[in-house]
Amino acid sequence: MRNRTVILAFVSAALAGVALATTAFAEDGPIKIGIPVGLSGANSVVAPSVVQSAELAVAEINAAGGVLGRQLALEIADDASGAAGAQKAFDALVFQKEVNAVITMETSAARNAGLPIISKGDIPYIYTSFYEGKSCNANLFVNAWVPEQQVPPIVDNFIKSQGAKKFFLIGSDYAFGRGMLEFAKAYIEKSGASIVGEEYLPMEGSDWTAIISNLKSSGADAVITSTAGGAPNVTLTKQLRGAGVTIPYGNLAVDEGTAKSMGADAAGIFISASYVTSIDSDANRSFLVAMQKKFGAELRTPNDLSVPEYEGIYLYKAAVEKAGSTDTAAVLAALAEVSFVGPRGTVSMSRQHHAPLTMYLGQVNADGSVTVVDTFKGVDPGEQCPNL
Amino acid sequence: MHENRSTPARVWLLAALALAAAVVVIIGPALFDRFTLNVLTRSMIYAMLAVTVDILWGYTGILTFGQAAFFGTGAYASAMVLSHLGASPALMVLALALAIIVPVLLGAFVGWLSFGHGSTPLYATVISLVVPIVVTQLVFSGGVWTGSSSGLVGYSGLPLGLPGYFRLTGICLIVTTVVALVFTRSDAGKLLVAIRDNEARCAYLGLNPQRLKIVLTTILAGVAGIAGFLYANASGVVAPENTGFVFGTEIVIWTALGGRGTIIGPVIGAIGIDYLSAQLSGDLPFLWNLVVGALFVVMIILLPNGLAQLARMVLPRRNEEQASPSGSPTLAAEPAGNGSEAGNRVLAVSGLGKSFGSLQVLQGIDLDVHPGELVSLVGPNGAGKTTLLRCLSDGTEATTGTVTIAGQDISGMTPDEIVALGVGRKFQVASVFDSLTVADCLRMARASRNAPSLLRRSATLGLPAAATDILRSTGLDRMLLGRPVSLLSHGQKQSLELAMVVALEPKLILLDEPTAGLTKVERTTIGATLQKLTGELGFAAILVEHDLDFVRDISTRIVVLHQGKLVLDGSVDQVVNSEVVRTIYSGGAHA
Amino acid sequence: MTLLLDVVTTAAILFIVAAGLLAIFGVLKIINFAHGAWLTIGAYCAVATAGLGLNPWLALPIAFAVGAILGGITELVIVRPLYRRPLDAILATWGLGIVIGQLITLWFGRDVQFTPNLLSGTVDVFGVGYSLYRLFAVAAALVIGLAFTFLLEGTRLGLSAQAVIMNEMLARALGIDTARVRLATFMVGTGLAALAGVLLTPLTSVDPNMGVAWLIGSFMLVMVAGSSFSTLAIACLVFGGAQVLVSTFVSPIFGGITVAVLCALVLRISPKGFARA
Repeated sequence: MRNRTVILAFVSAALAGVALATTAFAEDGPIKIGIPVGLSGANSVVAPSVVQSAELAVAEINAAGGVLGRQLALEIADDASGAAGAQKAFDALVFQKEVNAVITMETSAARNAGLPIISKGDIPYIYTSFYEGKSCNANLFVNAWVPEQQVPPIVDNFIKSQGAKKFFLIGSDYAFGRGMLEFAKAYIEKSGASIVGEEYLPMEGSDWTAIISNLKSSGADAVITSTAGGAPNVTLTKQLRGAGVTIPYGNLAVDEGTAKSMGADAAGIFISASYVTSIDSDANRSFLVAMQKKFGAELRTPNDLSVPEYEGIYLYKAAVEKAGSTDTAAVLAALAEVSFVGPRGTVSMSRQHHAPLTMYLGQVNADGSVTVVDTFKGVDPGEQCPNL
Repeated sequence: MHENRSTPARVWLLAALALAAAVVVIIGPALFDRFTLNVLTRSMIYAMLAVTVDILWGYTGILTFGQAAFFGTGAYASAMVLSHLGASPALMVLALALAIIVPVLLGAFVGWLSFGHGSTPLYATVISLVVPIVVTQLVFSGGVWTGSSSGLVGYSGLPLGLPGYFRLTGICLIVTTVVALVFTRSDAGKLLVAIRDNEARCAYLGLNPQRLKIVLTTILAGVAGIAGFLYANASGVVAPENTGFVFGTEIVIWTALGGRGTIIGPVIGAIGIDYLSAQLSGDLPFLWNLVVGALFVVMIILLPNGLAQLARMVLPRRNEEQASPSGSPTLAAEPAGNGSEAGNRVLAVSGLGKSFGSLQVLQGIDLDVHPGELVSLVGPNGAGKTTLLRCLSDGTEATTGTVTIAGQDISGMTPDEIVALGVGRKFQVASVFDSLTVADCLRMARASRNAPSLLRRSATLGLPAAATDILRSTGLDRMLLGRPVSLLSHGQKQSLELAMVVALEPKLILLDEPTAGLTKVERTTIGATLQKLTGELGFAAILVEHDLDFVRDISTRIVVLHQGKLVLDGSVDQVVNSEVVRTIYSGGAHA
Repeated sequence: MTLLLDVVTTAAILFIVAAGLLAIFGVLKIINFAHGAWLTIGAYCAVATAGLGLNPWLALPIAFAVGAILGGITELVIVRPLYRRPLDAILATWGLGIVIGQLITLWFGRDVQFTPNLLSGTVDVFGVGYSLYRLFAVAAALVIGLAFTFLLEGTRLGLSAQAVIMNEMLARALGIDTARVRLATFMVGTGLAALAGVLLTPLTSVDPNMGVAWLIGSFMLVMVAGSSFSTLAIACLVFGGAQVLVSTFVSPIFGGITVAVLCALVLRISPKGFARA
């Protein structure tokens, strides 16, 4: 009997010791940043560049002594670019890997599926992908553009400089595709031009034949597309070019890297972005040099989806330092106030958890580089989340 | 029928296992971390689906990818109610009800589509592929109602919390598994195996396999719908991936790896693989899928019955049925059915013709058969004997003329309906259920009269005396249990099939060369049995036979068929001594 | 006019994609559910050819050879034991498809690959500018169809294959090495599938899962077509036409399931599909 008590006491002591040790370790261990991202599926084209810029940010911060003396560590998970995959990925990151924050670029489907898990786990979530807007959650901050910032440059240019009067809209049938085009539709009509067609294909769809034929017979003089990134965008562009569509073509979802690998098919496409590689600033130049140095031949072209990821990690760093800990409530309060000067200029998520940004209207050249046609400074994201 | 014995050991075993599982489920939340609980909750929902796939595929032989569609429909029905209407208790009940009703309706439609008269197993599989694809596209086209590609999120579900969901799903899984185990091991459950083994035989035992499959599909669609309801609540997300055919193939993979036809195997397969993939796929996603895929291929080729088969090979098999003293069912005499009144015609055929395109196989057949008659149908190969039997037992076969059985015109009737009129058909090649025991085969023959129990394995086997006699005289009564029919000798299978047909208590038995390939002794036994059935018990029989000596010994009447026409119909002596018959059999004349 | 061209070219593309599956199903009565994976293999052959700096057209023979060789290995190792278990063969080849998809991912990565266009630009057809490549697809479909008809009607292998289709026991009794006929047929079928993969590259993106999207459509068409290339051509025209019409006039979303749904209904009404017509 006595022996048993002794053993019990010993075991409890040992367990307590282990528990203490783990706690202590957690305090001193790295701050974990979760990156659920579409390594497979529609986003697989841009995902590697997003991971690269996150790796650079973490390497730079760690080399400079970390955050509050702690190192940063990345936990990357594949969300398969969709809701079901995101649910698994967020679950694993939040509850298995127990990350301190999620900072990532994802599809809207994945973001929506992940948000309830973020709320349950109560950690900060910085969303670094442009999206259709109006996603509001106390834990969510966005440092990329919304339709209010992106659509007007293209539409204004098409109407004023290209004389477009009849627009045709093509999208992937999901939150981003529909959300962007909904805004574009309202904005085009407000600007005095008309919509002659609006068609959607599921994200998995690959046969645009009928839609393109409708486009050609509609008499449209400009086309704006808003597909899921990656495969659908590539397929649509290939088939549009194959069918000989030459009217002004604004693509709301193409990034510079994808445009480059598409080759000749992408030439002439208009894009509206908060980042292009040709931005003339010290921050951008040193960022590009650092990327080149770190990844060499493996480098994926930095783009409008990967650069916000880089800046997002720095914004989180600033917020943790301001808050003095990784405590969620304190960090969330700080996130709305901090700012960071990055490749895209000064970014601060101060407007209802969203960020005013400088926007560039660009046109893709035959070699994949982007010529900036026009620049719009400090474009306001508008009323995204009036309740936050 | 009368179950007065003490509860068999296997029932206790099952109860103990279920109880143990329930305990694990109840205390689980105290043992596992949050992530594990979350993953296991999902895995257990998937395991419920694997059970339904196992019943359809492992037991009944219907390879289906469609359970994903029913699951997705149930999940979407719930999530749409919760998103667009709200989550009050009343609406929660509505969500559950719709999660069952919608898949059930869809399941009934899919069943009707898949299992028409004469549709092939491959066609059912084809449909099961199309259904998830269609459902997924409907989800895509549903706009804000279904959330299209984004799915639905952010609705509130049952206020249970993670431990609550874990326990709820666990209990649901245990209930599903126990019900499935009890059902598949009951007398009615053997019907599924009978359908898988030999669907034609089922139909000729008066059962309607197509209707049974439709019912099964419908019910299991409802179960999948319940799983969908649980999923929609527990996960808080429904997405198009949940309804897709790729998900359907995953369920089949879990079932196959766990071991089809075992219920427990698929449960373990689904939980094990889904749990491991959640644990491992974060670190090595491709390798993991590669391993699962490769394992699946190897398994299908080498171990079609999955890991359960491997376990059975490694562990010494304990044959509980022979070990338990109360195992062997006792043969019970059933009261003899209403024997047909002598004098009335059992069968009346007039002007029957059958052609395949321009080829006339049968023409102008007129034939009457009365109770107590043993009519032998003779004629050279290709005379149309087997075709005639087929026209008598399947109302969709004949091209012209009428066949009347017990006063009713059978045109357009399916075999099972004709069996109900009192026709039993024995095929040329013994048509039995290879993986069932002798006792279960005979029980199938009685299933259209005595609805088999959904819960129990009966301890008695009620058979008419005539069938019991056949079993006694061939020694089959000592082989009722223990091994599958596929291990019986050729002659024993023939006798078993005859006993099964007789157990139907038909007024008219059609026999296609019952003595082919039998030994002399076996022939004599069968001959004596047939004489007793007709002479003493008032059955009528039509016998197709080549052996003229055998025919002469036992027949009351002989009908000669030649080149699709009935050339002679008379007593044994008339026919045997007829010039026509001699010419035909010497191969000369054209009648 | 454009509508008509859309119908014809869509039918041609469907025909190209389904041809390999039909060759295998027609002779062997086995459904190769790894068909999608072979399309992917073919497309990645195009990627590899471009990577080596070769002429993009060379991808066609290379893909055929690679597809046929891999198909040969598959027939020997995986399909041969399953001829008597056709439903299991569906499952085993589906599993193989998963394995191939993962191997491609491990080798090439999972992102979208790009290939040089075989033919670009448009030509005027009766005053309408139409994609040159889609018109080329019609020619390619005709060549594949004719070549296959020649192979079946005009060669020893083809005649043996026909004998196997009609009555395998008899064929074996006549001294035909049915095992070799099966092997050769499977290789031709998978070679054709890989070839189709190359022909798809100008129309779609190339990624490890690209084949799955095409699998079901071709599977359904083959079920309806039975074992004849001419009925497959008819099926492609009818159902491809329906798909274009539904996509154009109803909804492109429903267009995607037109082929599958119509084929399922046709099979319900006439279980042998077009084979009897």
